[in-house]
Amino acid sequence: MNAAFVLIGALAVAWGGYRWYAGYVDRKVVVADPQKVTPARMYMDGVDFMPTSKNVLFGYQFKSIAGAAPVVGAIIALQWGWLPALLWLLGGVLLIGWLHDYLSGMSALRNDGLSLGGMAYKLISPRARLILLSFIYFYLLLIAGAFGAIIAGALTKLTSGPVAILVLAGAGALAGHMIYRWRINILVITAVCVGLALAGIWLGGVLPAPKILGSLAQSKLLWGVFAIAFCYISAILPIWRFALPLNYVAFYIVMLGLLGGIAGIFVGLPSIQAPVYTEFTIKVGPLWPMLFVTIACGACSGWHSLVSTSGTCRQLESETDGRPVLAGSMYVEMILGVVALMTAAAAMPYTQYQELLKAGPAAVFATGLSNLLNIIGLPIAYGKTMATVIIVILAITVMQLVLRFMKVATIELVGDRSPVLRNGPIATLVAALLTLLIIETGWWQYLWVLFGGANQLLASLALLVASLWLRSQGKKFLFALIPMYFMFVTTIAALLYTSYNLLSKVFTGQAGGEQLVGNGLMGLVSLSLVVMALLLLSDGIKALRSPLGPEGPQPEPEAAGGGQ
Amino acid sequence: MTEDKKGGFLRAIREFIYGMSAHDSARFALKTRAQMEHLFILVTMGDLVGVPLLPPYYSLRLLPYVVPQIATWKRRMLREKDLTDALA
Repeated sequence: MNAAFVLIGALAVAWGGYRWYAGYVDRKVVVADPQKVTPARMYMDGVDFMPTSKNVLFGYQFKSIAGAAPVVGAIIALQWGWLPALLWLLGGVLLIGWLHDYLSGMSALRNDGLSLGGMAYKLISPRARLILLSFIYFYLLLIAGAFGAIIAGALTKLTSGPVAILVLAGAGALAGHMIYRWRINILVITAVCVGLALAGIWLGGVLPAPKILGSLAQSKLLWGVFAIAFCYISAILPIWRFALPLNYVAFYIVMLGLLGGIAGIFVGLPSIQAPVYTEFTIKVGPLWPMLFVTIACGACSGWHSLVSTSGTCRQLESETDGRPVLAGSMYVEMILGVVALMTAAAAMPYTQYQELLKAGPAAVFATGLSNLLNIIGLPIAYGKTMATVIIVILAITVMQLVLRFMKVATIELVGDRSPVLRNGPIATLVAALLTLLIIETGWWQYLWVLFGGANQLLASLALLVASLWLRSQGKKFLFALIPMYFMFVTTIAALLYTSYNLLSKVFTGQAGGEQLVGNGLMGLVSLSLVVMALLLLSDGIKALRSPLGPEGPQPEPEAAGGGQ
Repeated sequence: MTEDKKGGFLRAIREFIYGMSAHDSARFALKTRAQMEHLFILVTMGDLVGVPLLPPYYSLRLLPYVVPQIATWKRRMLREKDLTDALA
């Protein structure tokens, strides 16, 4: 099978799903009405609530949901063969993924832009919000741990990466200074800083880490601390000083690399070299339920519901923009997942993939993407450093955001009981140290599965909230409730399977030293997530069974023309 | 392709790139400014929401400058928020 055919097939599925299924739900079930006033127009404050063009929002939503996860998940899942991974990417997005993003955003849109916690409070139960927010804290910890492990693994094995990353960080800081202090034209800033970052990629090849650090360059601890320190600085500095301009410069590097990779697939037309299907049970676990949590983003991801509710839905200018922005960006993310799958399946022999995977998915991605970029003329060594920078920066962008958020969450959740934790840098440090502990002691494949499980579980909870909202409006809701149950059962099974594996090693004495800490910690976090999710589901089922009130379903108020 | 459609397509691409690369930065810049402004209004006009911080004389002197923002400020201050608001 040719990789280009797979990509074309995925595009066709995305187009069909977006046009027919998403179109049907948008027009006939949710009944998006361009005349209705959206929260962005009703509560316009120029900041959170701000009517914004759908094209801008499409880019914003896509950038916010597409991090390292669709890339890494697809690469790990290739161990089951390319067909199961591809089918879950296509089927997942078609039947669940877009629905989750779209419904969570539209339900918030019709509820004055309430966040997911507020929706849970309103539609499930008062305690649901607290449980959900505690759930989200553990979930974020797992995100930071899983992405940190990917970064540490990448920088240990791909030695040209560190210098390139440091130059990119410098270019980001310079961009911030040029934008906000020197106030130079943005085109000049872009040319200078992106040029600097591209030169840094070349410099990374000339100055690999072992040349500077010797044997220390192979230390996982060093790169774990590096990733954490990077995110710590980013979390405590003003966001315009470092995090945002770095993301701005990195955006161009990521886009150049990914578009180059897609061009490589269409120019070189590589054939898929990986087997169609390998076996049901691999090292991570059996295909069901583990495949469905290994590929999270790209098929369905709970992270998106946070972005859709707290960010995007408060900026939608019109209800009819919901489908292109919320559903459309999810379909495009699926295409990114398929491209990542093809970089591993078609750009190298399967034996090489298996060998590289031992060093982590970043090594597979770097080799695959550099082979594809080589088809369009980029030298392999340069392409490999560029791919390393891309995967590290995709992961570090999310880690930065997560640590910044965990700082806020720590202050909010325990600040009253422990005044010392009200201090921003100390709260960040606590979150950073917890993350470092997980990175250093956890095995990356288990970490990834736990992150995926927590992510999918959050998705099922968002679908539960969306189903309750549809029911409260007297609309059809089974098409959202059935995927919710599927995701819930699958992820609970995956989390229980993984925590059993982890904790059994602890209690039977098979794990010692740092493994003991890692297995114990990850197993307990996983069990806590399961308990919180079950509590939420129990409250959710009660809410589903409760009568709708004497006056029946509560349709939204009639369309009111005009806005501010 | 007509000139209008061509312009529309190019504008859409430009807006998409802006959305991916800079919209977040613009939002955070606006958020930072809004937070500072709201803090200032809270200090000067706090008694509007039951937090008297400055003597009413100074509040009255500043009132004409703050009036255009009071509605938005009160809405933002009193809107229900939770942790996930910090994410996006």
